[in-house]
Amino acid sequence: MMLFIRECKKIFHSLTFIIYFAAVILMFFTQFWPAMDEPVTSSTIDSYELAKISGEPETIMPKALDSLTGCYFSNTYRCYPYGLFKAVHLNSRDNDKIRDCITEMSSLNADELEELKAASSISHVKVGTNELESYNVKGVPLSEDITYERFREIMGEVDDILGGGSDYRPDDLAYKFSQEPMTHEEILEQYDEFMEKDHIAIAYGRLFSDYLGIILAVIPVFVAAALVTADKRTKMNELIYSRRISSFRLVFTRFAALVLTMVIPVLLCGAIASARIMYMYKGSTPDIAGAFEVSGKWLLPDIMLAAAMGMFISELFSAGMAILVQFAAWFMCMMMTSMPLYGHIGRFTFICRHNSLFYRSEFMKHYSDFIFSRIFYTAAALAAVLLTVFVYELKRGGKFNGIMFFGKDSIFRHKT
Amino acid sequence: MALCFSARTVYSDIRHNFLPHYLLAAAIVVITPLFFSVSELDSRQAAQPLEMIISLTGTVLLTPVFMPEQNESIRDLIRSKKAPYLLTCMIRLLIGLLLLAVLTGISVLYMKKCHSQVTFRHFTGTAASAMALGSIGFFTAGVSNNVIIGYMASLLCYILNFIARDKLSIFFIFSMMNGSYDEKKWIFVLSFALILSVFMYFKLIRKY
Amino acid sequence: MNKMIEIKNVNKFYGRKQALYDINLTIEKGMFGLLGRNGAGKTTLMKTIAALHQKKSGSITVCGAPIERAGEIRAMTGYLPQDFSMYPSMKTDEALEYLGALSGMKAADLRERVTDILHKVNLTEQRSKKVAQLSGGMKRRLGIAQALIHDPQVLIVDEPTAGLDPEERIRFRNLLCEVAEDRIVILSTHIVGDVEATCEQIAIMDEGKILWQGTVSQLINNAIGHVYTANVERRFMPQLKKEYIVTGMITQAEYTTVRIVSDSEPDLPNAVLTEPDLEAAYMYCLHSSGCGIKGDEE
Repeated sequence: MMLFIRECKKIFHSLTFIIYFAAVILMFFTQFWPAMDEPVTSSTIDSYELAKISGEPETIMPKALDSLTGCYFSNTYRCYPYGLFKAVHLNSRDNDKIRDCITEMSSLNADELEELKAASSISHVKVGTNELESYNVKGVPLSEDITYERFREIMGEVDDILGGGSDYRPDDLAYKFSQEPMTHEEILEQYDEFMEKDHIAIAYGRLFSDYLGIILAVIPVFVAAALVTADKRTKMNELIYSRRISSFRLVFTRFAALVLTMVIPVLLCGAIASARIMYMYKGSTPDIAGAFEVSGKWLLPDIMLAAAMGMFISELFSAGMAILVQFAAWFMCMMMTSMPLYGHIGRFTFICRHNSLFYRSEFMKHYSDFIFSRIFYTAAALAAVLLTVFVYELKRGGKFNGIMFFGKDSIFRHKT
Repeated sequence: MALCFSARTVYSDIRHNFLPHYLLAAAIVVITPLFFSVSELDSRQAAQPLEMIISLTGTVLLTPVFMPEQNESIRDLIRSKKAPYLLTCMIRLLIGLLLLAVLTGISVLYMKKCHSQVTFRHFTGTAASAMALGSIGFFTAGVSNNVIIGYMASLLCYILNFIARDKLSIFFIFSMMNGSYDEKKWIFVLSFALILSVFMYFKLIRKY
Repeated sequence: MNKMIEIKNVNKFYGRKQALYDINLTIEKGMFGLLGRNGAGKTTLMKTIAALHQKKSGSITVCGAPIERAGEIRAMTGYLPQDFSMYPSMKTDEALEYLGALSGMKAADLRERVTDILHKVNLTEQRSKKVAQLSGGMKRRLGIAQALIHDPQVLIVDEPTAGLDPEERIRFRNLLCEVAEDRIVILSTHIVGDVEATCEQIAIMDEGKILWQGTVSQLINNAIGHVYTANVERRFMPQLKKEYIVTGMITQAEYTTVRIVSDSEPDLPNAVLTEPDLEAAYMYCLHSSGCGIKGDEE
């Protein structure tokens, strides 16, 4: 216990932790706080411009087919494979494959498709540096035998041909082609869910986790890497290596101290948010405990994994490598997050998003996946800490000195 | 004479300390076209890969300038050497800036070759953004005497831009993506001030 | 308990380079000096005894426990590395408490122990100072304090006097002698004076091998009849240094009085046999073992 307190104290005094603290507070006040400007009431909820994704095959299929046919005619497909725009132009063989997909989904054959192309009106749109012909295609007849399952399958092939990230990615079809504004009744239903099922606070808890999760998936790595490498940097490592304490106890104590200290600013923000919610919704009974529960499940695995990876990679390679790996993983996760920013949590989603106070049912639809991902990343974090113990024990006994790519201990260097 | 000593120190530095960083910066430039489209983009689209990815070369190249002397005893040793420490750092910084300019230049020229609408402004704008990220890392690493803190500050600044976007007004480093170039001169001035203040800090307070 | 360190046929490699050759040593209670030039393998041997390095072959037991039981070894040894520091932002007593906690000491005992040990190493006044503010000598004393905090049976100190001023060095030696009363203290150094003042038993290492082991007086006895003094004109000094091992010289006007180690009587007109001191005995030992030390070397 004493060691744990000392480790916590060490972290509190480190500059990386102070910056971490400031970053969490900054994120909280700049991103989440504006959502608490005024309470959600049955009369103000209309201003949130809620949209719904009907997901009905009858809506999706014709719209998606029209869009794909138009793109096929101009041979220009807009893709966002890693979050950034990419205009895809296919070679004739691949474009023919798209044609085959279209003819399977529609009742038109290749010749009829050509006729449609000739009959379609053309407008010019600027895509990138080029003025491209854009075909206004409407009402391509769907094949009578096509089922929605088969349609999704074919669209999956189309997305593969385009290299991924297109509008036709099966999981994005519903969002891209069946989005429409909610009716007033539907909006009121959302309000009821917000009040009755989320008991106000849980909805805020999700939004809070959404914003803070963005940075908690990456910045703990700095605090962890700094803590691990401080021993070497201050030439204290041999003093510590020669102590009686087991590597297991030392590494786990440090990990626990890292996680606990890094949870503190999050709890502080949670407390501030709770106070604000209680004040805004005087007269109601917001489920503050529920909000802390959802945020805890959501954010704790993020902090744990980022900290554990920071410890493990710093011990195995270097702090720089730990930062590089975690930042690259964060960047890819962020860039590949699909729109809309809710209802997309999968079994292996690291950075979970739910950027709204509403759509509770969308979140609950994936709740088991959400729990799975949280357990998975908690387990991954613990596994990374165990590996750290192993590496630490090897280093401590002089069996291993860490992997270096460059310099005199480089693994590429011929040892003499 | 001092310059000669410093140049020799820097040469050995590059071989032993900075090569991985230079290679990583080059790797960022090489990998970008594999993941993001760089061809046939208009002016704003072209700014996306440049500002969001190529600018990270600044963090990689400028933050670790003080890295070899992070250790207290090594720093004392360096102080006692013939090569003036600040001159050595300045040469390292200049090499970093030069590489940054070259890598940004290569990216912009490659995009031009791929028929994207890039101009000289894309080059200077991207270089300014990269320099901003790099100088924040350089400044914090220098003042805190810890390169990890340098990376942390630089990447947090990047993340802040990623999230808060144009709310940052004149300090928005991805402004060309919104079609605005005015921010760049502020960013450049800020970077220059940060770099200068580190040298002032070393000279006046730490008395190197 | 068997208070003894036994090292038998220990070999150690760094990659393909052999660092220790067939080391055999028995170290008993009291001060033990490990003397050798820089790079002789002293640090490697010390770290191997402290379970911080792996040996390739042979066996080491520390107070009956084989070195493979690293946990046990670490519990009963205190180690002061040659090149060390501590978190600069920690206060002196905090650093000791932290390292004591890592040694598994209870909070209640630790507070008292830190006070005692700080008193012992004469750092009581500095207990609230940050480690970064301590002088070189104070840092060394803090180093000894951290190695002693858990009251180990074996204390391993690697080149502890390097960089200390004469006064600090004497104080440090006395401190080591005090703590060696009831435990094994292994002191490695390349400074002969440190060993002379403190150790009864010594071993001399060179190029990873133990050249000699015994008591200080035995080493001196070995050199009797091989140490000479002579008065030489200053201009002959360079030539003399090339031919003989010069362990000391005092220059007066045109003449220099030199102390020479030599197997046979040197070919100098006024050379006379003299009583060897430990430094000369050490040089003679290195020389008679065939270690190239002529010329300007130590």
